[in-house]
Amino acid sequence: MVRIKNRYIAVQIVPYTPTNTLRINDHTLSKCLLQNVEKYHGVYGLGLIENGFRVKYCNDRTKTAIIRCLHRGQKFISSVLPLITLIGDVRAKFRTLYIGATIIQCNKFIIKHQKQFLDKAMGQMASAKERQDLFKRVMEFDMDR
Amino acid sequence: MSDYQYLDVKLKLRDPESGTLNQVFLYGCIYKSLESIFGEIGGQTDLELLKLSADHRRFLVRIPADFLERVRIAIALIGQYQGVPCHFQVLETSATPLDLE
Repeated sequence: MVRIKNRYIAVQIVPYTPTNTLRINDHTLSKCLLQNVEKYHGVYGLGLIENGFRVKYCNDRTKTAIIRCLHRGQKFISSVLPLITLIGDVRAKFRTLYIGATIIQCNKFIIKHQKQFLDKAMGQMASAKERQDLFKRVMEFDMDR
Repeated sequence: MSDYQYLDVKLKLRDPESGTLNQVFLYGCIYKSLESIFGEIGGQTDLELLKLSADHRRFLVRIPADFLERVRIAIALIGQYQGVPCHFQVLETSATPLDLE
């Protein structure tokens, strides 16, 4: 019995102009990634990563995504990520946050990352009212969309 | 051990009368195949056409040894030359310079 090794890449999408939502779903994201892999690594690279490739999670509010690929095709995707400047029809770039072997570890990292970001944002708030407003906005955050 | 590999390649066209064999078209054909198969990152190599015999439809190319595998794959998968169905046959591969006899 052979175990299939996967890699999960957690990425952050950084838009060129700050926006609340990117209007990107997992379909457009995977299409964009596959197109770019074909451009930079040819049909050979595309054939290598196509099997096992999937966008597992994509949140356009927090602008994070988790991409699953096979262990042997990981370098083809991670090398292409910094070269992408257009996702769907939005000018944006990818920031690779974490590469893990299980989706749980990726998820843990994203939660930790978001917590750190919130702590930092809270720290930068000058007044208590602003802090309360931010806290309220975070609490009202609708994850179900 | 040399860092280059030399290939002796023969072009076999379906219709031998058609198509002109020249350096530019050959370069274009091989580079196009390399880029479509290995992409912009994987398909970049310095290919050098050393000799060309239009009568025998043979040519010699020099490539870095690391790229031998890729160039051979790309050459093997070329199916058209100037719109004419064709295939390339690699007659000889060597680490020392070759010559068309």
